[in-house]
Amino acid sequence: MSSSLKTITVRRDVAKQMNASGEALRHQLGEQGTLVVNLVSSPGAGKTSLLEATAKQIAGQANMAVLVGDLETDRDAQRLAPFVPTIQLTTGGACHLDANLVQRGLEALAFDTSAEGPLDFLFIENVGNLVCPASHDLGEHLRVVLVSTTEGDDKPGKYPKMFRSSQVMIVTKTDLLPYVPFSVESVTSDALKIQPDLRVLTVSTLKSEGIDRWCDLLWQQRKERLCIDRRT
Amino acid sequence: MHEESLARALLRQVRMILDENPGTIAEEVSVELGPLSGVEPLLLEQAWERCGTGAALSIVEVPLVAECSTCNLQIELQEFDFRCPRCHAGMRVVRGESLELVSVTLRSVEHSPESAPCLPL
Repeated sequence: MSSSLKTITVRRDVAKQMNASGEALRHQLGEQGTLVVNLVSSPGAGKTSLLEATAKQIAGQANMAVLVGDLETDRDAQRLAPFVPTIQLTTGGACHLDANLVQRGLEALAFDTSAEGPLDFLFIENVGNLVCPASHDLGEHLRVVLVSTTEGDDKPGKYPKMFRSSQVMIVTKTDLLPYVPFSVESVTSDALKIQPDLRVLTVSTLKSEGIDRWCDLLWQQRKERLCIDRRT
Repeated sequence: MHEESLARALLRQVRMILDENPGTIAEEVSVELGPLSGVEPLLLEQAWERCGTGAALSIVEVPLVAECSTCNLQIELQEFDFRCPRCHAGMRVVRGESLELVSVTLRSVEHSPESAPCLPL
């Protein structure tokens, strides 16, 4: 059997092709006036608590919904459901969400009777993991990474891709600062080395501190990124 | 563990190239990946083997190169510090952030592609 070899040079970003559906979702939801916010952190950093506080704070001013990702159980969805239309996405063991799961969540949301009208904000609570979710574009306009004071201030240096790909960092559980060896200054300077444009906020959902600033940032980002004004 | 999905995405890319080149099989697939790609070379290699294509995967690790958005200084970064050493502005990554399919080496086969060993694609 005669055969010959030839090499074809292509230079294609493999993940970009994989994330193409994320790009399409971002465009589609942005056109509808929905700012998509992807919340990422390690497990237990306070994503669900932040969403609970956010829902209470902007209830009546904004239409929002949550897609919440976990490996198993719908506990987070049960926690959030009294305050905001919520769809649980169960990954069945997978360590991250992807745009196809988000698409499925949006379809489920369309049948949720508590959700009405176009959304101002769609929050996606990712699986608690600072590694894999960094590589998956869910169609978000804003990636927000949470670091809690109980998990240590060395996270940015350990998980550079996650902090590099985020636009906002929120230090959570600041009410515990007097009791834990955590420096907001040091986590901030480490994160800014990796992502000099990062916006940094601090919150304590227990003491309801910093939630108003976070909500202001959300409205402001929606205005800037989608070029639309807050409804009056 | 997203190396599995990346290997599958890579496979789809290779399959497209094979479709454009009928009568060939993939002999070698070359990729480049950098420190910020989020890809562990060994895990990618294992995931690729599990795809069972028979094509060899060649992985070249490239350095992280960034360019200052203000003064345009371009440097290779030794650590994840994206502040320009000259003017302290933020830098953007020009290389080392992705997993890139660089090239595919194809072998043309006389017989029908179905009989080729490297084509369970």
